[in-house]
Amino acid sequence: MRRAAACALAAVVVSAPWLVAVVVPRQQRYVLHVLIFTAFFAALALSYDLVVGHVGSLSLAHPAFFGVGAYTAAILATRAGWPFLADVVGAALAAAAVAALVGVPLFRLTEHAFAVGTLGLAVVASIVANNWVDVTRGPLCITGIPKPVLGLSGGPALVITTLPGQYWLALVALGAVVLLYRGLTTFRLGRAFHAVRDNEPLAGAAGINALKYRLLAFTIAAALAGGVGAMYVHYLSVMCPEEMTIGLTVNLLVIVFLGGVGTLRGVLIGAVLFTALPEVLRLAPTWRLVIYGALLLLVVVRSPEGIERLLRRTTPSRVAG
Amino acid sequence: MPLLEIRGLIKRFIGVTAVDRVDLAVERGELVSLIGPNGSGKTTLFNCVTGYLATDGGRVLFGGRDVTNAPSHSVARLGIARTFQQVSVFPRLSALDNLLVFLQQHQEESFLARLLRSRRLRRLETEAVERARRLLDLVGLGDRATAAAGSLSFGQRKLLAFAAALMPDPELLLLDEPAAAVNPTMINQMKQHILALHRQGKTVLLVEHNMDVVMDISQRIVVLDHGEKIAEGPPDVIRRDARVVEAYFGR
Repeated sequence: MRRAAACALAAVVVSAPWLVAVVVPRQQRYVLHVLIFTAFFAALALSYDLVVGHVGSLSLAHPAFFGVGAYTAAILATRAGWPFLADVVGAALAAAAVAALVGVPLFRLTEHAFAVGTLGLAVVASIVANNWVDVTRGPLCITGIPKPVLGLSGGPALVITTLPGQYWLALVALGAVVLLYRGLTTFRLGRAFHAVRDNEPLAGAAGINALKYRLLAFTIAAALAGGVGAMYVHYLSVMCPEEMTIGLTVNLLVIVFLGGVGTLRGVLIGAVLFTALPEVLRLAPTWRLVIYGALLLLVVVRSPEGIERLLRRTTPSRVAG
Repeated sequence: MPLLEIRGLIKRFIGVTAVDRVDLAVERGELVSLIGPNGSGKTTLFNCVTGYLATDGGRVLFGGRDVTNAPSHSVARLGIARTFQQVSVFPRLSALDNLLVFLQQHQEESFLARLLRSRRLRRLETEAVERARRLLDLVGLGDRATAAAGSLSFGQRKLLAFAAALMPDPELLLLDEPAAAVNPTMINQMKQHILALHRQGKTVLLVEHNMDVVMDISQRIVVLDHGEKIAEGPPDVIRRDARVVEAYFGR
């Protein structure tokens, strides 16, 4: 039954562009745009959850890594003429390098001090993006970022220009992040992450170097955020400093914590709800933000551990103990 | 050569010398107890040996190798397991996963192998799960394998922490008050577990306040008072030692 349901869901997700064309033909472009954003946000939130949910470090620096990736890709594509896939990899590596560099001093801080330190990083990154005009063009934004081209130079190439094409590309990226997320958070490695999160002194007695695993999760998460940033700018074809403000952290926190921190389906549910919801609420423009806020409150009050927790209660086989 | 050798270990906290030039050697296969009144430095000594506190002097040798001030995870990887006085588990992990965590270094694999979920990886995992289940059965928690550790009773958590320490098959076990705050049946159980380990040839260093347990199972007892070693010897001798009696009951 579960397998059948999963297959049906996958079929709906993959065929969404056609479904949208049939159901809401007039708003096809808009709906697809929201879906693409949802996929990007889901991928970004999953990468964020590796740090927040699995090693339990409240990092607020994710917009910085997203931004480093986005700007790296934008600059490589527009000024150096790098092909799409190469600049996505370059963006991921650049973000990972920054994370590894700042991670060593940041992880000397614990708990709240760590959160504030990472917040500082996010603020500094945003200020740099606004003011380092020679490189980022500041508020003028980097424009004219080419559409994604799949394929190697010289060989046959596939230019992704249509919205459905962009959607499927975003889905592939999300799928890759989901596979990585599952690979990293299960078995030995996942247990090491969770041990560090649950009880760091005891993790030491189990032979686990907490700093090493925190840095590993932080760096991989940054690489994924950078990669998503690169895909994102190729979709929008423009990168502005506003894309990497602290507001992005707030969105990610809402998605991860209200969806279900540390769980794959929780984060995915959170991404779908909290990216699509504000758009759906445009039907009531005056009350949009009030309703959104009230719904957030409702989730926090009714299920403080996230929406995923509600699903678990109704599935007896998953109840612990 | 002793398996564990502590030479002139010193640990000072502000204004207090918690461990004062303590020498202690534990031979391979020995069962030694460390006793002393509250605040005599037993747990501090454990913490210095296992990398949880930086020492202010002296050396710690394990199998002839200098491990003074090595970080806790390195000490654990060399084969020294320890339990904590304040019972310590991973509350959100299942009882089974709590044990599996302790097999980290035996399960290390390449990143590629992880992603491909190689056959070797699956075999290692199956073996690890089998071993963990055996240990859970041993301490009587076989039917709680999937329960979150945080949902277990105090006594069950204590048994779980003990089983977890055994998971990597350590050469040396440092047990910090395994019989404290548990009911008499479980004290007896714990005693049997420790004796069984001793019979298997494991080396055990025990901190314990329960004198019945200590006198009953130890081969040798070391007594600390105010951070100093005041006596050392077999149970019969320690029982009659004037300084020990004085430290415990006053003059």
